[in-house]
Amino acid sequence: MSIAPKQAKPADARTSTEPQEAFVRFRGVSKSFGALQSLRQIDLALYEGRCAALLGPNGAGKTTLIRIVTGLLAPTSGSVRFQGLAPGADPRALIGYLPQHPAFYGWMSGSEFVRYAGRLCGLSKREAAARGTELLERVGLGAAAGKRRIGGYSGGMKQRLGLAQALMHRPKLLVLDEPVSALDPVGRRDVMDLLRELKQETTILFSTHVLHDAEELCDDVILLQEGGISISGAIGDIRGLHRTPALTLEVEDNRPARMQLGEWLSGLSHPSIASAALLPGEYAVKLQVRDADEARIYVLRQVLERGLPLAKLEIGHASLEDIFLKAVDAP
Amino acid sequence: MRQWTVMYRKEWLELLRTYKLLWVPLAFVLLSAMQPVSTYFLPDILAHAGNLPEGAVISIPVPTAEEVMAQTLQQLNVFGLLILALSSMNVISAERTGGMTAMILVKPVSFRGFVASKWAAQLTLVTIAFAGGFGAAYYYTSVLFRTPDWHRSLIAIALYWLWLVLAGALTLAFSALLRSGAAAAVCSLALLAALSVTAGLLPDALSASPGMLPKLASAQFLDPAAGKFWPVTVSTLGVLAAAMETAAFALRKRPTLLSS
Repeated sequence: MSIAPKQAKPADARTSTEPQEAFVRFRGVSKSFGALQSLRQIDLALYEGRCAALLGPNGAGKTTLIRIVTGLLAPTSGSVRFQGLAPGADPRALIGYLPQHPAFYGWMSGSEFVRYAGRLCGLSKREAAARGTELLERVGLGAAAGKRRIGGYSGGMKQRLGLAQALMHRPKLLVLDEPVSALDPVGRRDVMDLLRELKQETTILFSTHVLHDAEELCDDVILLQEGGISISGAIGDIRGLHRTPALTLEVEDNRPARMQLGEWLSGLSHPSIASAALLPGEYAVKLQVRDADEARIYVLRQVLERGLPLAKLEIGHASLEDIFLKAVDAP
Repeated sequence: MRQWTVMYRKEWLELLRTYKLLWVPLAFVLLSAMQPVSTYFLPDILAHAGNLPEGAVISIPVPTAEEVMAQTLQQLNVFGLLILALSSMNVISAERTGGMTAMILVKPVSFRGFVASKWAAQLTLVTIAFAGGFGAAYYYTSVLFRTPDWHRSLIAIALYWLWLVLAGALTLAFSALLRSGAAAAVCSLALLAALSVTAGLLPDALSASPGMLPKLASAQFLDPAAGKFWPVTVSTLGVLAAAMETAAFALRKRPTLLSS
């Protein structure tokens, strides 16, 4: 199945099932830097309470789009509207933003910085202190780390601090540029768990290369490619559209198992299976099927009957990675 | 206003923690104190320098206290401005290219307030540094020569202080306009030099130019019939306001200069 260059299912189409106004709406947003066109004619809607992942290869325009949402960059043409705000009104009070490489004043301590951020957003001294302590704890920077100067923080600690400062004023929209790419696996897990909690409280837009993270967390997916949106919509809808009628069977990677698999393949013939191809390494086979349910039962039976040393069986599921790679590879 | 106070206090803390509040005033004090002291000991210094033929007589007229004070201001006009420009050239540009503004200016912060807080902190620094420097020069001049007239000193202080404030504000504005801090320092020093050179060449036509400020300040000591200083003060205040407005505009236009 080929992926149409047009939106698989426009995010707007969901308005029929969820009759709510978009929280943020992009209309025909383009951005050029000199001769380089970074974004072209982006139409996009973000809905309140949903978590949207912004995907795309390097240089696709993810950071540019994020900076336009935050107001750090003005679009060359087109408009970004926030729900309940007049055109041209300042949306900054609604937004919490974590840049890709958060930079701080090295001479400040972590807790001083979050309090400073809170006070800039209009919190009182007491509120800022209380919320700062709470958030530092929540992102995994304890009181001890909070007292240290930021100059001595590691990259991961800065990322966590950046997240804490973005949350100080309980923003309605949390915008995160690559929130987990600088973190080690433990840090990644912590931040992902935190984001899952935050999903209940606020609308989130985050960009990432790590497709697995997007799959795990988000409701909506926006795939950017060369400055345009190539796929966007709810993740379930996209999966459904890109479901491949295929079945992958993998056996243990040793000689007898490979021979057994080869034997089975050579004699394979069933109406539900259209074709079969051995994958590199010869311990896995990809079957194109006509009827997924029937093929599944048939293959499972065969596995039991022949005693194939099964390692993995995957049925008809296109992961975001498959969709991503297909869309990116498509000329 | 509350938000502005928070920003000003952050700037103040930065001055303290980065030791700017220590080294800038210290440099001003050393520079200013050196002038009366070295003038006083000049004959001795020359006598000890050697290389003089036997029996050479050096006669240097003893300068008046007012002349020494005027020389001090001229000394500050070279090195003082340089120190000031170097200490404030990165105030905005480093935050903008380093990514700090990307986090601060996405908050509901007033751009004018942001610039004003930086300027106010700089004003504090300049005032402390200049007060220290002028105080030191005044003290050594009184001890080694004679006490300069305090009334004229006060006017000179005010005029010269305004000149330093202008230098700081111009550096700040260039720091917001340009990506590089060094370029900001060079541009502001060049502009200040151009201002004072043109004012020196055409004192009548440019009698209201801010470039007259250092000249007028020295003139308080040298020439009691020095020109009026109100037009200069007014025009300088105008330039200050324009510099602040330019900086705020540049920041609003492009809050961050990160490339990635």
